[in-house]
Amino acid sequence: MKQLFYLFREAWANMRTNRTTTVVAILSTAFTLACIGIFLLLYMNLRSAAGWLQEDIKIMVYLDEGTTREGVQELEDKLKADPMVAGALFISKEQALTEFRAQFPSDSHLLEGLGENPLPASFVVTLAQNFRSPDAVNRWAERVRTMAGVAKVDYNQDWIDALAGLIRYIELAAIGVGVILSAAAVTIIGNTIRLALFARREEIEILRFIGATRAFIRIPYFLEGAVLGACGSALSLGILKFGFELFRQQIRSVGRFSGIENMISFFPLSFCLALVVVGIGLGFAGSVVSLRQFWDERA
Amino acid sequence: MDAMIQLIHVSKSYDRRAALSDVTLEIEKGEFVLLMGPSGAGKSTLLRLLIGAEQPDEGQIFVQGRNVTKLRQSEVPYLRRKVGSVFQDFRLLPKKSVFENVALPLIVQGSSTMDIRRKVTEALRAVGVDHKKDQLPNSLSAGERQRVCIARAIVNGPIVLLADEPTGNLDPERTAEIIELFKLINARGTTVVVATHDPQVMTQVNRRVITLMRGALVPEQRVGV
Repeated sequence: MKQLFYLFREAWANMRTNRTTTVVAILSTAFTLACIGIFLLLYMNLRSAAGWLQEDIKIMVYLDEGTTREGVQELEDKLKADPMVAGALFISKEQALTEFRAQFPSDSHLLEGLGENPLPASFVVTLAQNFRSPDAVNRWAERVRTMAGVAKVDYNQDWIDALAGLIRYIELAAIGVGVILSAAAVTIIGNTIRLALFARREEIEILRFIGATRAFIRIPYFLEGAVLGACGSALSLGILKFGFELFRQQIRSVGRFSGIENMISFFPLSFCLALVVVGIGLGFAGSVVSLRQFWDERA
Repeated sequence: MDAMIQLIHVSKSYDRRAALSDVTLEIEKGEFVLLMGPSGAGKSTLLRLLIGAEQPDEGQIFVQGRNVTKLRQSEVPYLRRKVGSVFQDFRLLPKKSVFENVALPLIVQGSSTMDIRRKVTEALRAVGVDHKKDQLPNSLSAGERQRVCIARAIVNGPIVLLADEPTGNLDPERTAEIIELFKLINARGTTVVVATHDPQVMTQVNRRVITLMRGALVPEQRVGV
């Protein structure tokens, strides 16, 4: 118990003795982890946006001009019996024209010149929850395209695919930036520990002479690294949260993007805790690297 | 008598300069031995070899029957808990009180708070600085600091006490006091080895003298009354 108390007190004493270095290490780690956090926030929000868009996807199944009423009925039955289909709404040629006129009142004269209603009848299909992945949508569209009475199958998959591609790039960038900046955080904390070790090298020498084990000497420095990492990551979360709220407020005040501020979200609590754990891990790694070098130099 | 320390054909050199050459000697349990010789004769090297701080290039070293040269790195701390060390430059932690400095070897080996309090008080009383227990080392005189250093070396009841030039920073009066202290510790059964180049120490100690000259042993002599 006395030993444990001593180790904690030593770790605390280390940090207090090298106050400036400790504060600089925490701030540097916080800003480094905040940079990683920005990428993670962007990645997380774009992913969830892509998810919403994917869920909202409507597939237009346009019918051949000469499809009979029976043909339409047959196709509707087939669609509704399909387990991949959650809903299929029939839009007749007349309804399509009415909707066009309602949506584009200034352009409705374009159709007048053509005489006959050129808009085809169609089904608006919503796919079931489990079949909304880009691949599943593609496969389903290919299959339906071959059915009798179907002229064309159309859906806005292209730009959802493009968004998915962008997300993949951001994911790769986040991993790359994460690895580089994590190494930077380890180096920053490692250097702080190295300075502490250098400042207390005589004390370490004394501890070795009086029979302290390697673990006993090292534990305070491991603790120090872990605390620096935890404080750095907690502070980085604070910085990110502040920046995030500021950004949300800006969007709200601009007004043009109203609604978006409610769609974007900050990290959930479990993710915040995981980030603190990652910070502890990075701090610990910094200590391990420095202690190994220090020990090798003095062995 | 049992041998507490044994060196068998021990040699050690640094950058091809011999610090110890083919040293063979034996120190019995409970002996008080003076290790004499001028600076650079190899006294400190010999003491460092005894606590596993260095490894010899050749030869074997035994402490209480245990081959020190065969110890794993992880076993060295346990050897050092049995062998107390006193240094010329005291090596006390400046930011810790006298009590905390002396308690350190006990904390390191995981003693209980009660045990620490009792043993540290006894050790400080034995060396005569128990009234300074709350002070920082820098506020003490050189003689008092050396007493604290000795208290730290004996607090966990070592079987051997090694002192490297323990009176190097002391005036003749304090030197005499410290030597008396070593004699007292030795009288309680601890084997004491004091390395010194100070002839004054030799005249005060009525015990065996081992002399080193350029790393080699000089035939033994007894000095004093």
